[in-house]
Amino acid sequence: MIDSLLKVDNLVKYFPIKKGVFRRTVGWIKAVDDVSFEVYEGETLGLVGESGCGKTTTALTILRLEEPTKGQVIFDGRDIVKMKKSEMRKERKNMQIIFQDPYSSLDPRMKIKDIIAEGILTHNLLNHQERYKRVGELLEKVGIPAENMDSFPHEFSGGQRQRIGIARALALEPKIIMCDEAVSALDVSIRSQIINLLKDLQKEFNLTYLFIAHDLSVIKYISDRVVVMYLGKIVEIADKKELFTNTMHPYTQALISAVPVPNPDYKKERIILQGDVPSPANPPKGCRFHPRCFKVMEICSKIEPKLIEIKEKHFCACHLYNEK
Amino acid sequence: MITNNKEPLLEVKDLKTYFFTENGIVKAVDGVGFKVYQGEILGLVGESGCGKSVTAFSIMKLLDYPGKTVGGEILFKGENLLRKTDAEMRKIRGKDIAMIFQEPMTALNPVLTVGFQISEALLMHFKISKDEAIKKTIELLKKVGIPMPEQRINEYPHQLSGGMRQRVMIAMAMSCDPILLIADEPTTALDVTIQAQILDLMSTLLREFKGSLIMITHDLGVIAEIADRIAIMYAGKIVEYANKRTIFYSPLHPYTFGLLTSIPRLDIEMKRLNVIPGIVPNPLHFPEGCKFNPRCRFMTNRCKEEEPQLIQVEEGHLVRCWNIDKVAEEVKKELLVGECEYK
Repeated sequence: MIDSLLKVDNLVKYFPIKKGVFRRTVGWIKAVDDVSFEVYEGETLGLVGESGCGKTTTALTILRLEEPTKGQVIFDGRDIVKMKKSEMRKERKNMQIIFQDPYSSLDPRMKIKDIIAEGILTHNLLNHQERYKRVGELLEKVGIPAENMDSFPHEFSGGQRQRIGIARALALEPKIIMCDEAVSALDVSIRSQIINLLKDLQKEFNLTYLFIAHDLSVIKYISDRVVVMYLGKIVEIADKKELFTNTMHPYTQALISAVPVPNPDYKKERIILQGDVPSPANPPKGCRFHPRCFKVMEICSKIEPKLIEIKEKHFCACHLYNEK
Repeated sequence: MITNNKEPLLEVKDLKTYFFTENGIVKAVDGVGFKVYQGEILGLVGESGCGKSVTAFSIMKLLDYPGKTVGGEILFKGENLLRKTDAEMRKIRGKDIAMIFQEPMTALNPVLTVGFQISEALLMHFKISKDEAIKKTIELLKKVGIPMPEQRINEYPHQLSGGMRQRVMIAMAMSCDPILLIADEPTTALDVTIQAQILDLMSTLLREFKGSLIMITHDLGVIAEIADRIAIMYAGKIVEYANKRTIFYSPLHPYTFGLLTSIPRLDIEMKRLNVIPGIVPNPLHFPEGCKFNPRCRFMTNRCKEEEPQLIQVEEGHLVRCWNIDKVAEEVKKELLVGECEYK
């Protein structure tokens, strides 16, 4: 592994809960609460967790589409949290995002060539002719015939729209692309097309991905390293193989065991977690997972475990491993 | 669990449900047939738009305009449901056949308490007093694992989490001890850990009730876990029908084979995902011949001209394809099975 391209340090994002006529702030949704990790150049970092665990907010805060409450985001050696708006706009050229829903993430009134060219235009990179030549190349790259560039988004299927979203993200030759549940809304046969496309593009352009998903099978297939989040906190970080063979955190264990495997003879012990994910407005004291944990100890409800390196490059936030 | 010698509980024969839209006739379900035996779980698998939900709605006779069942038979305990009047159907629906819907938030009525909604069916189908119905409702909620059911019955759907709502839906479906349950993507909207809870609950309850289940899903993982027999649907037709092991280990339809090799999975390390090229065809303009032929790697000229029939290749294994031999060869070479690398 080379240097880290993106380093997130103690990132915090709270959303105010407002009530009453005067919109007084009565509490905070702790969507992302003190999260730190690194993304290395050329790798795919998988970010996995259940709905409401803060994985999307993490990506949006890194891009400063949501302003972080606290913390640092070092991208390419510079803290982007401290940047002015205008500087940040320039920096976004290097950081792009692919959204989950291919229906709502493309402007229905724009031709797809203008959707893809918008970033190039904003950053004033190419003249008119070159711009659309580039759009044509990008479309071919993602598997859509270039002669369709005058069409509108509604003329395409979900999978094709996701390809257009990918072409848009590629247009500015970014260094990192955040894929926010980029394949979750797609049908099985289309999903594998898009996953393969993302892999091919990564190889060709040496892209770095922050790949957000709730589906562990996809995460296992596409990632090099995996970050597991629960209720705004990171509970485990490890290399993919290490994470799946030597799972440490009880939540990760439960999560892996809960994934249905398309193999009738796959025998495994399923850990069924009790209860639901608590509200991030009022997370449990101590370890946030302790009310649902099957290995809960006395200390868990009192002291919050820190994310520490237990084995080489394997981080886990759990009291089970703290005594050593 | 599969018993072949008995009469099936439900037999669907050549079901045809069309939607008469302004742009033309959409043949959403076009000649679907299957049997469900007592105590059996049938998985109905396919991608969006393949007609799996429409099949379920046809059985329940819950189709809205412009949808209409135009042909076939639905034999439930030997009686054709398609010939029943609305009043007769109302007596069967909820009591003998119950349904669990995908989206618990839209399937539940937001302005009525959950207690009211569950006891409604009880009061309709049985001669019991309100107090008894409420007592039974509390029991049901306890059975599906809802804590403090005495208080929950007075709450509204929005006060419950997604998993809780799905439990309420299950309680509602189970309230009159149905012998056939139809579940339409019951866990798709849920998180994995909650999905595990709900699947666990459903299989426990089914064992208890000795009822049958038609499980509609696009998730082959869920199907591998729960189903006894599987029907794979594509473009309004069943393309392959067999027991679970056959489907997963020796499929004979190119679409089934394609699906199995294109999903990332936890149990085996995959180098590169297989791809089914193209997209699901527009139901207004289905291709000539075999409906899968534009996406099929085994396609021959015959596939473009003549539509294959669903043919029995061995006991209980039906396939709709002209090139079974070629597919079988490839399946042997390419289909990875069962080595569990990660425990």
